[in-house]
Amino acid sequence: MTPSWILDIFAALMLVVAAVSAGRLVAAQPWRQRAALADIDVAHLLMAIAMAGMLAPSLQTLPNGAWEVIFGVLTAWFAYRVVRDAQVSGVRALAGGHCAPHLIHAAAMLYMFLALTAPAAHGSGMSGMGGAAGTMGTLSLPFLAFIFALALIGYSIWDLDQLSGPGASGHYSLAVARVAPAGAVLAGVGAGAGPGAAAVSEPAGSAVVTEPVTASQAQPVGAGGPASGTGRGILAPWVATSSRIAMGVTMAFMLLILI
Amino acid sequence: MSEIAAAGVRPAARSRLGGAEASRGAPDVRRLLQLALAGIWLLDALLQYQSFMFSKAFSQMIGGTASGNPGVVASPITWNATLVEHHAVLVNSIFATIQLILAIGIAWRPTVRLALAASIAWALGVWWFGEGLGMVLTSSASPVNGAPGAVVIYALLAVLLWPTDRSVSAPFTAARAVGAPVARALWLVLWLSLAYFALLPGNRGPQALNGMIAGMESGEPGWLAAIDRNAAALVAHQGLAASIVLAVALVIIAVGVYLPAPAAKGTLVLALVVAAVIWAFGEAFGTILTGGGTDPNSGLLLALLALTYWPVRTAVTAPARTAPAPAGANEGTTAS
Repeated sequence: MTPSWILDIFAALMLVVAAVSAGRLVAAQPWRQRAALADIDVAHLLMAIAMAGMLAPSLQTLPNGAWEVIFGVLTAWFAYRVVRDAQVSGVRALAGGHCAPHLIHAAAMLYMFLALTAPAAHGSGMSGMGGAAGTMGTLSLPFLAFIFALALIGYSIWDLDQLSGPGASGHYSLAVARVAPAGAVLAGVGAGAGPGAAAVSEPAGSAVVTEPVTASQAQPVGAGGPASGTGRGILAPWVATSSRIAMGVTMAFMLLILI
Repeated sequence: MSEIAAAGVRPAARSRLGGAEASRGAPDVRRLLQLALAGIWLLDALLQYQSFMFSKAFSQMIGGTASGNPGVVASPITWNATLVEHHAVLVNSIFATIQLILAIGIAWRPTVRLALAASIAWALGVWWFGEGLGMVLTSSASPVNGAPGAVVIYALLAVLLWPTDRSVSAPFTAARAVGAPVARALWLVLWLSLAYFALLPGNRGPQALNGMIAGMESGEPGWLAAIDRNAAALVAHQGLAASIVLAVALVIIAVGVYLPAPAAKGTLVLALVVAAVIWAFGEAFGTILTGGGTDPNSGLLLALLALTYWPVRTAVTAPARTAPAPAGANEGTTAS
């Protein structure tokens, strides 16, 4: 059995991600902006809490059924956004768009909760995983777990590359977000627009669509705080990207040890 | 294209890079392949955290690779297996963490050289101490079961994907770091050795290949076990013929990189197909779906290796010795 202290380390990492995501939400104050949605950070927060509970039984919060509903909704939401991206940016957005990794994350979480089989599923949540019961659950349809793990690894590695230098594809940039009118920039924009992304949002009141822009298109903004969403401090794009990397690696880890 | 490299691009070279596409920074094939290698290292690391690796079965698996090897090779393997057996949690955690660091290091641009160099050393160590040199010194090495050892291909890829350029123009990505003659020679040696292993007496017996494939069924999901069963039945009592067919294919692949680009592409496609067949039927995807796979095995690595030899139009902005590129960056090149 995988030692519980290793699971605890990953659980602690998830708590950090949850705290950072909550901090980003608080700093961005999306409730003060009409069109603001913070779907990325909300998703990060929920996933991190759920994974921490799966890794360490003492950190469990909601029953499995509630998480299944939550991640079902998140999966549907990000699927909708990926389709919207594809309509705007072309079919390439289905895999390479800024919402695609979030769709994979949400779907992988949903799969884990649905596919976990005995013995862990008999207890509350995945408590067997932490070693308390001395046994671990396994995932049905292990090939799907493998595919999800590969996808998560791929996105995590890509994020690491983009975070550490200018995008090889020129598709993403570390430049801060160009601010759209009337505070339409989202708390989760940095993450949503890809690794270290620059992002442009539609005007307030419209449907939320963020698009990655190239370095040449991005116009770094030198001033502005959370209200303008320029991505400084905890709102910096690299913070969200780092959270996504940590979650992707942890999720892939969980999928593989549950095969 | 990295900005540093871009600054050194001569007009003619810039033209070759393709105008707007070049200035915008087209995806660099070598960097993408490096990232694929990093991804496989990350997969390895996460697999190393599985329950199986913390059990005695893992040390027994390592110890088993000493069998059939000469004493000088076998002794360190046995020592390593004993070490893992006595300190399973500590040693395996270190193993997994090292691989995790290698993956992150390759993906993180500033550390790509350091991580690639470290990965070569680590891979060679694992090749000996963990895989018994891929069993190439025994009579049981077979391309179908992972010879010459998946991990040695990691090292080979790290060399071929090293972020430097020896020539102004390279016919394929693997040639950029070591030059085309050396890259072709390495390819030739690898695939000819696979052909040789395919024809070893132990592998060309009537039921040899059948037994090898059927042996992968255990613990696999039903659908994969069924595929293995059917594949095994297909080669039942056909060991010699199957070995000859496989060896011929491997020889064609080996010499393919010396052919003109269109023909080379054909042999590389064959290499990809053979790698996929080996990975799916012979290696059952590295037995990852059983929860006991330490790595994806050689099939996936052979496919990645084949991609590094895919003919590309690569134009390097300046010789590496006069204008070394930044670590892991695009080195002012593009490929199509």
